[in-house]
Amino acid sequence: MLVRFWGTRGSLPVAATASIVQDKVAHALLAASGRSFADIEEARSFARSELDFAVSGTFGGATTCVEIEAGDPANGDAFILCDMGSGLRGFGLDAMRRCAAGHARVYHFFMSHLHWDHIMGFPFFVPAFDPNAHIVIHSGHEDAEEALRRQQEEISFPVKFDWLRAKIEFRTLKVGETYQIGAVQVELMEQHHSHSSFGYRFTDAEGKVAVFSTDSEHKLDRMEGEADVEQFFRAADLVICDTMYSLADSVSMKEDWGHSSNIVAIDLCHGARAKRLALFHHEPVYSDADIARMHAESVRYEELTREHDPLEVLCAYDGLEVSL
Amino acid sequence: MQWSSSEQQGCVIASPDGRVDEATAEAFTEHLAASVTMAADSPGKKLIVDFAGLDYMSSRGLRALTLAKRQADAAGVAMALARPNEVMREILAISRYDKLFPVSDSIEAAI
Repeated sequence: MLVRFWGTRGSLPVAATASIVQDKVAHALLAASGRSFADIEEARSFARSELDFAVSGTFGGATTCVEIEAGDPANGDAFILCDMGSGLRGFGLDAMRRCAAGHARVYHFFMSHLHWDHIMGFPFFVPAFDPNAHIVIHSGHEDAEEALRRQQEEISFPVKFDWLRAKIEFRTLKVGETYQIGAVQVELMEQHHSHSSFGYRFTDAEGKVAVFSTDSEHKLDRMEGEADVEQFFRAADLVICDTMYSLADSVSMKEDWGHSSNIVAIDLCHGARAKRLALFHHEPVYSDADIARMHAESVRYEELTREHDPLEVLCAYDGLEVSL
Repeated sequence: MQWSSSEQQGCVIASPDGRVDEATAEAFTEHLAASVTMAADSPGKKLIVDFAGLDYMSSRGLRALTLAKRQADAAGVAMALARPNEVMREILAISRYDKLFPVSDSIEAAI
């Protein structure tokens, strides 16, 4: 199983401004400290291996879209996607390239929920205009179709949903059921969020497990229910978790905003004996340096509170691939 | 989890001992609630949680502190944390709980 992150930012897409890029260049020049490079490849190698990620790269600004590659795509297994944030646009273009090389034109989407940042990529999803494509949108919500049609009404977008040429189906999934869809078994869990959200647990034929749990608040007055969450995360090879706020923010100013913290995510993954955690749904006001700091602090908290095997704490960024 | 309480200059000093994790969080929560009630009846109307005997605390313990603070706010009781070890000081910083609670190096400073 391969997990590919196309969009990792929470709530709203963000982009680096000129001053942010200039700041990164200035830090890189300082780090190079007068060194010279024979060619662009040598300079790239320096950037990759010797600069901090927050200087040489970026966590990115596209909203939620995660691809789960499972089974054997070369032999007809379908695409599997979690959510349709603005990161979906990049996936769609890459999928067209892969389809031209023979990939099946079948797309299974699993929707955490239907808030704007999780559906805004669909009007720009090029495969939706492919008459040979088959798109199946799975959701725990019964109103997924309404949400997607509504955002393509003329007041919001010039291309109506009915003009899309792909075959598009909507399927409502039920908590407690296990579904075989494409190359994975899928279970879902209801989460606390405005209009509710759903987490998904994907298991492939080799037994590899990826859990997608975003836009999920773990409420102070429902801590006893966290045993169910740990059970859902149990022994997962990767848990993708909403870690938008600090714990202090999530229980004070931003309580009831529907999101969680790095601290609670690590505790839940420890309890579940998960192998890896990907910090996800990054706060849009955070700079790359802020996210890198949050990642370093999360790694440290994991070390301080570890009671069993280590939990690897990754920080998701647009373009990250994790092989399970 | 061991727990003891004392009074100093009209303030209640609550002293948990050990670690606060999933197994002990419930007891920690109950002791905290009782300590807030005790502090509400004290002349100083202040609860100082003495962290000197605490090894570490997971999010369950931190969130129990928030629940206790809500109870304290409603009862007009001030809450402060004192004498965290290095691990606890790091956890309070990483969680940003050092922004929610005053944290002191000594009981005297907390009073």
